[in-house]
Amino acid sequence: MTAFDLLKMVLGDVLWSGVAALGFAVLFNVPKRLLLGCFLCGAVGHTLRTLCLNSGASVEVGTLIGAGAVGFLSVYLSSRFGVPASIFTVTGAIPLVPGVFAYQTVIGLLHATSATGSQTVDFLSAAGLNGVRTALILCSLAFGIAAPTLLLGRSNPAA
Amino acid sequence: MAAGSLGGTVERLQAGFYSMPTLFQTCGYTSKPPLDYETLRDVIDLSLWAGQLLLQSGAESQQVEETVHRLGTGLGCDWLDILVSPNALVITAISDGEFRTKVRRVVNIGVNLQVIVEVSTLVQRVLAGELNRQELRTELVRISRFQSGYSRWTVALMVGAACAAFSSLFGGDAIIFGITFLAATVAMLVRQELQKRYFNPFITVVVTAFAASSIAGIASIFHLGNQPQLTLISAVLLLVPGVPLINSVQDLMKGYPMTGIARGVTGAVIAACIALGLLLAMSLLRVNGL
Repeated sequence: MTAFDLLKMVLGDVLWSGVAALGFAVLFNVPKRLLLGCFLCGAVGHTLRTLCLNSGASVEVGTLIGAGAVGFLSVYLSSRFGVPASIFTVTGAIPLVPGVFAYQTVIGLLHATSATGSQTVDFLSAAGLNGVRTALILCSLAFGIAAPTLLLGRSNPAA
Repeated sequence: MAAGSLGGTVERLQAGFYSMPTLFQTCGYTSKPPLDYETLRDVIDLSLWAGQLLLQSGAESQQVEETVHRLGTGLGCDWLDILVSPNALVITAISDGEFRTKVRRVVNIGVNLQVIVEVSTLVQRVLAGELNRQELRTELVRISRFQSGYSRWTVALMVGAACAAFSSLFGGDAIIFGITFLAATVAMLVRQELQKRYFNPFITVVVTAFAASSIAGIASIFHLGNQPQLTLISAVLLLVPGVPLINSVQDLMKGYPMTGIARGVTGAVIAACIALGLLLAMSLLRVNGL
């Protein structure tokens, strides 16, 4: 892949993942002055994941890295705008949500019920694998965006 | 009142209890003036209200607990204990040994991040001493009545654009983009109409998924675009329960297993409802989604 291809891919990724985050930010009724921050969070998280995938990392690790970036960026933006960080983490996480894996899981299960013979087992095992991946991606996503709170905001639970 | 008939025994016991030093006093926790009966009632009502607004707008449990605690102590309580349950909020407010407990039922009415922003701003202003209880009540009334900052067409078009953007991320071409945009926008309008009529949220999801995949199925029927099945995947993404699922895992990690499990189950049921709507549309149109 040449540098130009890489640039084109990154720019496309930034644009579309940012638009995806922006659309859901409007759906979640984010105030207008924060929309640019939501665009940024969505774009940074997903583009980092794409770059990780491109360099050979698994989608779970890529999600962890992308979501971690969203988490720390959200802390910065929240102190800058004086709003809770969750506004940016929620919208920034949306492009990283494993919607396709979840889709393939349920559609696979539906196909398994209508398939015959050994095909049933194939569909079931594929659906199971996709289900596990969905859960794993979701866990690394949640851990990534919660990383600043979990790592920096510690307190003694017994106090 | 009934206690008076016991010769004042209960009153004397209560008096003895309340005159004992509380845990917080003995630990040197409090230097705040005690709140009177009416004030404590007002404080717990306001704290509960703020917590209810957060919980029903899709805040995670830790955020609810922390915000309510800061608000209550900022209004003059020594301490607040908050139990966050998936559909109720229990708060005990303590001031100088006097305590009040109140439960409020909370119904989740969908993600509204503006409410979370506004409530958190209110808490900051209370802590800075800019708001008294009456002003806080007025502000909470305003937030509770507040609808949406965007017109329904803006929301529908932006959600359509978001789903179309997902189809591009998955590698779809311009035709896929257009069909996904159309399907998701129409589906969002359908969803708004159903929500306006207070349909059960899960039925709303089934019908919306059906509408989205019926229109998105056009691509598969007429073999339009480079990967026709992408329209089906992308058009139902507006329904994916991203916030309940992320909140679920975050609650589990931060020590709120009950809300975490409940939110995870809710997310799974929503996913099943999406699948049901998809299945109905795909079998009617005789389209294969994989």
